[in-house]
Amino acid sequence: MANIIIRNLTKKYGSAIALNNVSLEIDSGEFLVLLGPSGCGKTTLLRCLAGLETPDEGEIIIGDTVMFSSSDKIMTPPGKRDLGMVFQSYALWPHMTVRDNVKFGLDVLKTPANISKETLDNVLLNLGMDQLADRYPSELSGGQQQRVALARLLATKPPVFLMDEPLSNLDARLRMDMRVELKRFQSDAGATTVYVTHDQTEAMTMSTRVVVMKDGQIQQVAAPSDLYHQPSNTFVADFIGMPRINLITLRAANSDKSIYKNDDMSIDIGWVPGVDEIVLGAHPEDLVVSKQITSSSEEYSVTAVLPNGPETIIQLTRGKTAVIARVAHDSTYSVGESVYVNYTTSALNVYDAKSGLIIKPN
Amino acid sequence: MSNFTTQKKWFDGAIRGLLLNPVNIALALLLVVLAYLVLWPFFQLVLETLTWGEGDRRLSRDAVPGEFTWFHWLQATASPIAGKMLYGPLINTLITGIIATIIALSAGGILAWCVVRSDMPGKGWLQPILTLPYIIPSFAIALAWETVFRSPKVGGQPGLYESFLGVAPPEWISYGTVPISITLAIHYFPFAYLLVAGALATIDSQMEESALISGAGKLTILRRITFPVVAPAFVAAFILTFGKTIGQFALPFLLGAPVQFHTVATMVYANLALGLDSLAFVLAVILIVISLVSIWLSNRFVGKKSSRFETIGGKGFRSREVALGQWRWPVFLTVALFAFIVGILPLILLAVQSVMLIDGFFGLENLTWHFWTGGSNPDIAFGEPGVFHNNNIIGATWNTLKLASISAVIASVIGLIIAYIVVRKADNPLAQALDQIAFIPFLFPTIAFGAMYLTLFAEPVGPIPALYGTFSLLVLISVVSRLPYSVKTGVTAVTQIGKELEEAAEVAGASWSQRFRRIVMPLASAGLTSGMMVSFVGVMRELSLIILLITPSTRVLMTAGFGYAEEGLTQLSNALVLIVAILTILGELILWWIGKGRMARLREKLD
Repeated sequence: MANIIIRNLTKKYGSAIALNNVSLEIDSGEFLVLLGPSGCGKTTLLRCLAGLETPDEGEIIIGDTVMFSSSDKIMTPPGKRDLGMVFQSYALWPHMTVRDNVKFGLDVLKTPANISKETLDNVLLNLGMDQLADRYPSELSGGQQQRVALARLLATKPPVFLMDEPLSNLDARLRMDMRVELKRFQSDAGATTVYVTHDQTEAMTMSTRVVVMKDGQIQQVAAPSDLYHQPSNTFVADFIGMPRINLITLRAANSDKSIYKNDDMSIDIGWVPGVDEIVLGAHPEDLVVSKQITSSSEEYSVTAVLPNGPETIIQLTRGKTAVIARVAHDSTYSVGESVYVNYTTSALNVYDAKSGLIIKPN
Repeated sequence: MSNFTTQKKWFDGAIRGLLLNPVNIALALLLVVLAYLVLWPFFQLVLETLTWGEGDRRLSRDAVPGEFTWFHWLQATASPIAGKMLYGPLINTLITGIIATIIALSAGGILAWCVVRSDMPGKGWLQPILTLPYIIPSFAIALAWETVFRSPKVGGQPGLYESFLGVAPPEWISYGTVPISITLAIHYFPFAYLLVAGALATIDSQMEESALISGAGKLTILRRITFPVVAPAFVAAFILTFGKTIGQFALPFLLGAPVQFHTVATMVYANLALGLDSLAFVLAVILIVISLVSIWLSNRFVGKKSSRFETIGGKGFRSREVALGQWRWPVFLTVALFAFIVGILPLILLAVQSVMLIDGFFGLENLTWHFWTGGSNPDIAFGEPGVFHNNNIIGATWNTLKLASISAVIASVIGLIIAYIVVRKADNPLAQALDQIAFIPFLFPTIAFGAMYLTLFAEPVGPIPALYGTFSLLVLISVVSRLPYSVKTGVTAVTQIGKELEEAAEVAGASWSQRFRRIVMPLASAGLTSGMMVSFVGVMRELSLIILLITPSTRVLMTAGFGYAEEGLTQLSNALVLIVAILTILGELILWWIGKGRMARLREKLD
C-alpha cells in the first residue's frame, strides 16, 4: 500500500495558475476526495499525480518513490507510477471488446498468460461483466461502461486509484448505486484513492477526508462531518451544504464586541470574536422556527415554502435580510405568514468579515 | 559552483527528455524534410529566374552562368516578346478562368439549391452523376469536346459536328476562349456545387420561418436571410474555383495550342519544350503569385465572415424543403438532362471514338476493336498496337497503379503522423509551423509545382541524387502534393480519438509506439483508408503536376494519353483517358462504400 505526499506543487498554463503551492499528505488506504467548483485545479492536481501533467514546481512522493521533483529533476512517466485511473469519459477503447479493454493493462505489464486469464475472469465475474465480455463498449449501457472502466482499474491491482468524476455521466439513480459499489471495491482493494468531483453529496458520502479547492489553492482538508459543521472560511461554508448555509454580515454593537447586529437583527454570540465586522454562518437547521413568540426570538415573514420529502425548506425575510430554514415535513407554513426565529447560538460559526476566516471561541 | 552543476544537470535532463520523446523526434524530422520539399523548391525556383543559366549564352552575350540577373524577368515583362510570352497568356488565363468560374458557380449554385433545398425528385442518384465531371480527369472533357467540335482547318479528321451537319463548326467553338471556358466550367462546377451545397445545408429553416412569421415575403427572405448566410461560401467558392482553373494545363493546351491560344500554364510547358527554362520559371512564379493572392483574398474575406456564422446549427436544427409544385418534374428533367450531358455523354463519346477505325466517320463499317485488342499494324496509327497489346500502355498502366498506390499509402501515413502531432501538440509553435508547411503545396498551381521539382532535382545536391527521370521523383511530388489533403483527413481522424483514450493507455504503462499502434492507428484506420483512396484517385488522374517530370520510362496513363493526343492518335488517347476515368470512378465508388459501411459504424462507436 502507498501513502502520497505532495509538497509545494505549482502548475501554470501560461500566465494562468492552475495549482498554487499545494501541499497535501494522503494516508495509505485513504479515500480522499478533491472537491471544488470547475476550474479550481482539482483535476489538474489529479493529472499531476497521474503524471499526465508535468508540474512547474514541487514534489510528489508515492509510497517510497519520488515520482516528481522539480529540484531533483525527476519526472516519472505515468506508466511507471503503478497507479490506476478512471476517466470522466471512461476512456474505453471503442475498437476493443470488454475483455480486451481490461486485458490491455495486463498485456502491457507482460503478465503471463495463465495468470492474466485468471485475473481477468475474476475481475469480470466480480463486477458481473462476465456475460458481456465479448461486447464492444458501444453496445453497453452507461452503467456497464462504468463497470468496465472499474474492471480495467482493478485488473492490475495498483496500490493507488485515481478517479476523475467517474460518476458524472450516470443518471441520478445509478449514481447512488455505483457510489456504494465503488466504495466497496475500494475498501476491498485497500487502495489509496484520490477522487475528483464537484458533487458535494458524493464527496461527503464516500470520503474519509475531503479537500476543498478554489483557484488552485487548498481551502480546507477535513473529514466530511467536520467540513460540514466547521467550514474554515466563508468560501467553504458557502460551497458545502444543500440547501446553502445562511451567511449574514453583522457589525459589533457593543464595546466588548460580543453582540452584533445589522439593520434587521441583532444577536448575542455568547463569546468575544473581537472584530468589528463578522459573517455569521448559520445552517438552515440552526434556525429554530416557531409560530409562537418566545424570548429573544425575532419576527420574520415567510416568502417561499419548498417541501422536499422528509423536510421542508422555507425562505424567511426580515427587512433586507433573507434566510433559509429547514423545518419538519409536517409543519404547515404558508407564504406571507409571520413566524418567530431563534438562532441556536452554540451551532453557529463566526467568520472575520475582512479575511473570511473562521474565528473560534477561546 | 554546485548550483552550476545542478543547473547543467537539469539542462541535460530536460534536453534529453525532449530529444528522446518520439513525437518530438518526428516533429523535428518532418519539419526539416518538409522545409526541404516545400519551401526550398520555391526558393530555388525564384533563384533560378534571377540567375543566368547555361543555355542563356545563346540568348545574350552578357550571360555568365551562375551570376545574378534581371534578364529573364525583363524579358518576360518588358521585351518585344513580352506580349506573346506573358501578357497575352495572362489575359487569356484571367478571362477563361473568370468566365469558367462564373459559369461553374451559377450552375453549381442553382443545382445545389435544387438538390439541397427543393423537393426535386431523383436527388439520390442525380448527385453522384453531377459530381462525375470533377472525378474524371479534366483532360477527358477536353478530348470529348474535341471529338464533337474538332475542325479540320487545323488538320486531322472532322468531329461529330461536321460529320452530321456537313459544315465545319466556327473556329471559336472548336478552339480558344469559348471551349476552354466551357470545359473548365464543366470540370469545376461540381467543386462549386459541393461548396455551395455544404453552405446551404447549414441553413436552419427555422431562421427563414422566423422571418416568415415576422411578415417577410419569400423574396425578402431569400434576399435578406438566405443569400447573406450563403454569401461567404459563395465568395470562397468563386475564389477557390478560379484558383484551381489557372493551374490547369492539359485542357487549355488541347483546346488552345492548335490555334496558338496560350494560357500562362501552357506557356510554362511550351517554353520548357523550347529550352527557355528560365522564362518558363518566371511564368511559374507569376502563376504561384496569382494563386497566393487569390487564396489570401479568400481567407481574408471568408475567414472573418464565416466564423461569425458558425453558430448556425445546434439544437432543433431543421431543414425544410421548398415545394416546387408544378415545376417539380420540369426541373427534374432539366437537371437530369444536364447531368447526362456533362457527366455521362463525355464518357460515351470517348468510348465511341475509341472504337472507330478512322475518327470522324460515323458508320458501322468504321467500327473496330483494333485500338483495344488489335496488334501492331503499320497502316493504322503508325503501327501502335491496341491497348491490350501495347507494351507502352501496359507499362504506363502498371506505373500508374504503382505510383497511385505507393503515393497514397505514404501520403496518408505521413499525413496521419503530422495530424497526430498537430492535434496533440496544439500549443507547440513548431507543430503549428509543420501544419502550415504541409498546407503550402495546396497554394502552388500544379504545373508550377512540377517546375519547382524540375529545377530542384535536376542535379545532385549533397547526399540527394539527381532524381530527374526517376520514378521516385514522381512518388515524391505526388506525396507532397497530397499532404494538404491527407493532413486534413488525418486531423479529422485524430480529433475524433479522445485524448483520454490515449491517456488511459499511458497510465496503464503503454509506450508511445504501443499507444500509436494499438489505439491511434486502429481508431484512425477508417479515416486513413478513405484518405488513401482519395489520394489514390487524385494521383491517378493527375497530369499537370507530373507532365514536366515524366520521361519515357516513367510514363503513366495520363501522360501517355496526353502524348497520343499531341501526336493526333485520338483513339488511343481516348482509350487511355477512358481507362483512367473508369478507374477513378471505381475508386470513388469504393470510397462511397467505405463511407456508408465501415466509417459510419465506427463513428457510432466513437460517439
